[in-house]
Formats: sequence, C-alpha cells, structure tokens
Amino acid sequence: MSRSLTAALTAAVLLAAACGGGGAEAPRQSKTELSLYNDKGAWSKYFEDMGALSKQRIGLSVKPVGHTDSAQYQALIKASFRAGVKPDLFTWQTGGMLEEIVKQKQVADTTAIWQEAIKNGDLSQDLASYYTFGGKQYCVPLNVAYWGMFYNKKIFDKYGLQPPTTWDELVKIADTLKQNNVKAFYHTSVLFSFVWFEQLLAGSDPDLYDRLSTGKAKYTDPGVVQVMERWKSLIDAGYFINPGDKTDPGDVLKNGKAAMVSFGTWFNTSMTQRSMQAGTDYGFFVIPNVNPSLPKTSVVFESGPLCSLVKAPDPEAGMKFLKWWTTTEAQEKWSASRGDVSANPKVTIADQAIGQITKDAGSGKYRLVNRYFEATPPPILTAALDGFGLFVTKPGEYRKVLEDIQKAADDYWSTHQ
Amino acid sequence: MIRRAVLLVLGLVWLGPTYLLVVNAFRPANSYDASRAWAPSGDIAIFQNFALAIERADLGGSLASTLLYSVVSPALAVLIGALAGYTIVVLRLRGGFWWFMLIFGGTIFPTQMLLVPLFVTYSDAGLYDSRPGMILVYTAVSVPLAAFVLRNFFTGVAFSIFEAARMDGASTLRIFVRIYLPLAGSALAAVFILEFTFIWNDLLFGLALTQTSGVRPVMTQLAGLMTDVYAGTPVPVGLAAGLVVSLPTVALFLATQRLFARGLSLGSV
Amino acid sequence: MTLQLERAPGRAGGARRPRRAPLHGRLRPGYVAPAVLLVAALLYAPFLWTVYLSFTSYDGLAPPAFAGLRNFGELLEDPALLTSIRNTLIWVAGTMVLPVGLGLLVAVLSYDLPRGAWYRLPFMLPYALSGAGLAMVWSPILSHDGIANRLLGVDTAFLQEEPHNTLAMLLVWTWQQLGVNTLLFVVGLQSIPKEPIEAARLDGASGWSLFRHVIWPLMAPLTAVVVGLALVASLKTFDIVWVMTQGGPGRNSETLAVTMYRETFVASQYGYGSAVAVLLTVVAGLASYLYLRGQVRTA
Repeated sequence: MSRSLTAALTAAVLLAAACGGGGAEAPRQSKTELSLYNDKGAWSKYFEDMGALSKQRIGLSVKPVGHTDSAQYQALIKASFRAGVKPDLFTWQTGGMLEEIVKQKQVADTTAIWQEAIKNGDLSQDLASYYTFGGKQYCVPLNVAYWGMFYNKKIFDKYGLQPPTTWDELVKIADTLKQNNVKAFYHTSVLFSFVWFEQLLAGSDPDLYDRLSTGKAKYTDPGVVQVMERWKSLIDAGYFINPGDKTDPGDVLKNGKAAMVSFGTWFNTSMTQRSMQAGTDYGFFVIPNVNPSLPKTSVVFESGPLCSLVKAPDPEAGMKFLKWWTTTEAQEKWSASRGDVSANPKVTIADQAIGQITKDAGSGKYRLVNRYFEATPPPILTAALDGFGLFVTKPGEYRKVLEDIQKAADDYWSTHQ
Repeated sequence: MIRRAVLLVLGLVWLGPTYLLVVNAFRPANSYDASRAWAPSGDIAIFQNFALAIERADLGGSLASTLLYSVVSPALAVLIGALAGYTIVVLRLRGGFWWFMLIFGGTIFPTQMLLVPLFVTYSDAGLYDSRPGMILVYTAVSVPLAAFVLRNFFTGVAFSIFEAARMDGASTLRIFVRIYLPLAGSALAAVFILEFTFIWNDLLFGLALTQTSGVRPVMTQLAGLMTDVYAGTPVPVGLAAGLVVSLPTVALFLATQRLFARGLSLGSV
Repeated sequence: MTLQLERAPGRAGGARRPRRAPLHGRLRPGYVAPAVLLVAALLYAPFLWTVYLSFTSYDGLAPPAFAGLRNFGELLEDPALLTSIRNTLIWVAGTMVLPVGLGLLVAVLSYDLPRGAWYRLPFMLPYALSGAGLAMVWSPILSHDGIANRLLGVDTAFLQEEPHNTLAMLLVWTWQQLGVNTLLFVVGLQSIPKEPIEAARLDGASGWSLFRHVIWPLMAPLTAVVVGLALVASLKTFDIVWVMTQGGPGRNSETLAVTMYRETFVASQYGYGSAVAVLLTVVAGLASYLYLRGQVRTA
C-alpha cells in the first residue's frame, strides 16, 4: 500500500511537470502576448487596456502580472535573471536600482528607441539622463510624476487662503489654519517618511541634495542638520497631523483632517476615485523654495522605468512594444486613463494645474531633483526611512537619526565609490 | 448563566471591528470618513463597491483555481498528515518522535525566505504558473499541521481499539481508514477549515509562483487594490472586496458548525 | 463493529500502553513517506539555499561571495537585533496569554453549551479576513483621533510609542487568531469521553476542580498542539507587523522575522538577512523540540 501511495505522489509530480504552463515555454519563440511584471498590482486594469490597444496597433497584447510588495517583487525579478522563467517586460526603479541590474548586463539596450523618440519629440533629452548608463539608454519611462502640494480648496476658500508663491507665505497659511484649529500638513512614519526631508533639502540647497545622494556629502553636515531643525520647528509649531495616523492620505485631504498633502501627480488618481473635482474640491501647487535666493524652484521628480531583458523570451517583441509605448498615441491613453502626467511632452493633460507643471517642467522653468526614494542607494534608503519614521514621532532625536543614517551611508560608500 | 454572559460580552467585543468592516463595506465609495466610521450610512453600496474592485482586478479564472487549491490541498494534506500521525502513534514507528519532528520542522522555516529558491526551482522544473505546482506547494505547507493535530489526537485514543481490530484480522491500512479516520472527524474537519482559510487567503505563494490570471489565486488579484499606495483605492471598495472574498470561508465555518457540537465524535463508531 | 472510545487517561496513560504489537514493520516507514517527501522537497530543500547564503555576502545579483561567519559576527553587534529579540519575546509571551489563554477560556465556556458553536462564531469570523483587510479595519480604531482613544478617554499613539505598538498589534492579532485556538481546543474537549467526567461528578467534583483534575489532563494532547503551533507562529511573527507598522517607527516594533525580511529584501543584504533567518529557525526549532519532547512524556 505504501508503494502505491508513493507511486501516486510521484505520478502527481510528473503530471504537474507535464502540465507546467507558461513556465515550460522554450525561449526565443515569437510571441503575441507579453507578460508585464509589475509591483503596481492596482494598475492591472490600466495595463490590460493598454494591451488591448497595442494588440490592435502592433499585434502584441499584454498580460499584467501584478505584485503588491515591492521588496519581494524586486527579489523575484532579480531571481528570474538566473531562472528559466523570465518576464517579457517588467517595471523597476530608476537610480541605483536600475544601475545595479544594468551593470549585470541583464537589461536590454533601448538607445535606438530613445534616439528616435527624442528626434520625434516623444521623449525629452532631460529625461534621458535618468535612463542613461555608460552613454547608452536602458528601458523607457513607464510613468513620470512631479511632486507638489495637493490642497483642500474648500478649506482654503473658507479662510480666504491662496496657494503660496514664497515659503513665508506657506508658513503663514499653516499658521492661519492652526489658529482655526485645522492641521495644515500631512506626514507619515511609514514609507513616505522621507517626503518632507527631501522637499526641505531640495528647496534649501539642491546641490547639497545631489551631493548627499552620491556620497559626496554627509548627513551630519551643517546644511543637512539645519534642514532637520527647520522640519522640527514646523512639527513643534503644531502644523502636522499625527504621523501614526493610518488613514489613507486621500481621505485625510478629502475630510479635511489636513488641509495639504504633498505627493506626486499620481495622487490625482486618489482624488478622482473619491469623486473630488479639481479646481472646486482640491487644487495643486508647486511648493516654493525655502531659500528664496535660489535661481529656480526645486521640483521633486520621479520616473519609473518599463524594461525588457537581454535574454527575454522574445527580445524583438519586447522592443517593439517599448517603442510603441513611447508614442503619443499610447501615451495619450496611458495618461488619460490614470489622470496622470505623461513622459511624452506632446500629450495634452486634461487637468489644468497638473498640465501646467508638466509644461513648465518641460520648458526648463524648474530645477528637477530626482526623488529621494530613487536617488538614494537601497541600504542607505532603508536606514533613512527608519530614521525619518522615528524622527516624525520623536523630533528631538534628529541628531541621533542623522548619525544613524550616516553610519549606513559610511558602510555603503566604503565599498561602492 | 455566567458562562453565557461572559461569552456574549466577549463575543460582542469581537464583533465590534467586524461591524466596522461590514458597515464601511456598505458605504458609498466616496463618503468614507475615518472619524465617523462607526456610523452606518444607510446605503447599500457594497455591490457597486465590489463591482468597482473586480473591474480593476481580473477575477475570472481565479475563483475556480483558488477553490481548487483550497479544497484539494487541505484534503490531501489531511490524509497524508493523518496517515503519518497514525503510523507514528498507533503503529509505533521506530524513532517516531524524530520522524514527527522532521515533518513538524516544515513549519519552523520563515516562509518568506523560501520564495526565491522555490521560484527558481519551479521555473526550471516547469512547475511555475501551473495548477499542479500550486497544489503541490500548498499541500506541503499544510501537511505539518495535519500531522501534528492528528498525531496528538491519536495519542488520546485507547490502544485497545487497535488491538481489537487486529484480532479481527483487519490490515493496518484498513484500521486507519475504517476506524481511526472516522474517529478523528472533528480533528480532520478543524484542520481542513484552518488550511482552507490559509490557502484561500494566501498571497505569498500565489504571487511568487504564478503569472496567468487563470492560475493566480484570488487574493493576489485583489491585494493590490488594498495595499498599493499608487492605487488610491477608496477604503469602502477595499473592504467590500475583502468582505466578499471571505464569504466562502464564512460559509464553510457555518456549514461545519454542527461537527463541533458536543458529543458528535463520541460514543459508537 | 461497535466500539467504546476509551481514553488513555492523561498523565499516567503513556506508561500503561501495552508493548509493541507485532505489526507489518516493513510498511511503516512507507506510511510517513508522503509527508516526509513533501516537506523535504518543498520546505527543507529551499531553506538549504538560505543556510548557504548566510555564509556569504550576496546582493541578489552578483554571485554570492563566501564570507565565513562574518554575518553571524555582525548579528552579535547589531543593536537593532536586541530590540527585535525583545519584541519577539513579547509576542511569544503575549500569544500564550491572549490568543491561547482566551481561546481556551472561550472553548471551555462554550463546548458543552447547547448551540455552543453559535457562541463561538464571532471569534471565527475575523479569521476569514485576509491580512490586507486587517489594517483597513483597524486603522480607524487605532489612529490618533480614533475610536480606541475616544473610548478609553486617553491620547495614546498606539502604533508609534514602544511598547504600545507591539501590544496594540498583539491585540489585533488576538482578535484575528483567537478563533483558531478555540477551534482546536474544542476538538480537544470533544474528544474527551463522558465516562471519566461523569465518574468524577459522582465523586462530587464540579466547576474548577472538575476542570483542573479531570478535563485539563484529558485534553492535554490538543493543548500541546495549540501551544506548540502558537510558539512557532509567534516566534515567526511577520505579517501583521509588516501590514501595520513595517517594524517602525525607527525599527522599534521589529520582530526577528521583520528584521530578516528587511535586511534580505528591502536592503538587499541577502547574506545578513539569511543569517537572521537561520538564527530564527534554530531558536524556533530548539524551542519546539524542548517543548514537544517534554509534552510527549506527559501526554
């Protein structure tokens, strides 16, 4: 009897092996459906809609494979480099994360796509720098976003407030709100704990921001310490909601728990999904520089790549899709479906305030700084997110926080210069 | 009376958050306010909310696959685990404790660390993105609990039952199937329920080992809506999705209530 | 065939077992083979990779470089690990008191009531809810201006200050997990035969003394299951912390499993993270061995 049980089990394993679906496909075959691995599980519907259009246009449809935990997603993608199953297309992060996998010679070169797109005006030369390593381009932009302040227009109207043009005006608004028992700003101790650090530093000294992310400056430098002190004074003044509040920031803004929430332009999706109207229920403004003598206003910029592998199952199909992705036709749909901005300057954006920042950014009005999340190498970022999370709950400990982050930075830069 | 009172009070405390879940899942998607979460809205928007959720997550083939995994794997695991427990306890397998520790050891590994090597192995063995592969991994994960519960359950069963059956000339396997399995009805059911729920709600293996929507479990398709910061999903939509997909589990709880009524597993066999 | 189910009565039971009956010895290992093979192939084998990585320096991309015991050396010097260990111990102790202790209470109070299963239903329902839903349900309760603060008339940052955050999450965990333990305890209680209880009742035992001296020893085998599972699960506490606080703020609510995950996948320090995983596994293995070995003697 035991033998038959074991036999049954073996049979099950063999059966399983025989039925192995997508996994067992031989490489280098020509494909009509591309798997698109991503850590944006909620975007599946948007990816599918794009796939429907691409099927019509270039005969390639898309199968989104959504993940929910970025860290685990990245580990699995890295593992696929040495496994039999590889994604046709996958989303990633710019900055150190992309550089790391480019160095491993895993990512397909997209220089030709970029050159043509820049010539056509579908992509900008400025954007290329985030995708360039050793003179060549890799991946194409999945999305771009500019960071600024979303504000509750009804609250602003109630107290006769206008979007600020200087830092002092912003602080004055916060003060007016405080006198009326309204919290001005949202912040959080989880994940997006870096937002205010990034904004204050970029608005005070963008060069220091860049040097910090490349290990040429220290977190304990006076300029960085001053930023933390300013941040602390804003918290001490009572302008922020409680950082441990787990309410969705979309609801925070909608219900007026805080009058202002700083996020990337993609936060627009949260607003529209809550039936909020741009211009009447909420608005968006560029956060003024802390240091008024800077020549340009610093705007935090984020761009996520869509990549293909050198050893993709069907490299030609992958390239064909990436090329199509950058076109105006594809980008019009992609941007409209999510109510967000596009990497393609030719795309017109329905939302006025967000359309304006895109246009201004394209014309060189702002000093764009790469988002802290992408600009900072992962081990330092991990320490920094923890540090800022601690800081927002215990602002008094800012020196210790900076020392801890610098310790992780020292460890990292000692082996990665 | 005191017993009933204590149970009722505790039960009401437990229902508090459940009430929050239900009330807010019924609320229209755009009228959620955390500071007034207690107050019922009087609307019945749960269907619209759930429709919004599935509109953005392809659940088509997922439901059938998930049901397959969460029924077949626990059923296999319960049988395999019970047989192991029976062999160790009743048949007095030599070194039984060590065999047991070996099987139980499967539960002590941190699951998150198994995913990357499992992904690599599965993709090289052609098990990636296949239903048999998912059944296999879910069965393996479920076996230790089944073995543990049944092993301990059988230690409480008098050995004289086994001896009597042997006297009648029954084979060891026959005794297992005809006497010990029926005796362990409530234990088998409890293990099945726990493992069904675990697999039904699993995200880890589903995310790591599948890609096609017909093979991926339901939770992997829905979780993005509830956890993704870029999604901006309104809370009622997330809760409605969570509530509706947990209905099969609740139905299973209700359907098996009777098995856990006092005395059913006792007396004559 | 009609059989009276007799129980080996509690503590003394094991000793009175008859000697080995002559069985088909040849077949016996075969019966455990499916269980052992499945567990070995799908759980042990992948874990060996982690064990190997714990002796290397690895970022998930470039080939792992052998690093000897360096990762384990770093473990000893990492101050964050102490917090992790402390929190993990709180989780283990808390789990024994709350989900296990309360689970036992609910089981004992309800198991022989008419319609007892209905009294237990409120405790089972939360178990049906998935992890992601858990955070959504509890955030309006635990947030700063949330329901808990208003009910208690206090102003506590439940998810920020240590050790409040670990304790708050422990309560959420209790809410979700109580039903599992109750269910297993009920199975244990149900498997007790009526005869010894009735005999003890005739001798005048009731209430606490009946429970303490008759019922409790008889349900020992399933109690061992609940405690054994809770011990391992609480040492491995991960999901709820990851969903509610991600181990923060400032790493103050991290458990060993969260530290492991953070180092391996978030910071891409696979070697160090694997060393934490190995430490965790050794601790969990040793704890369950010591507990179960003792339990086998008494049950």
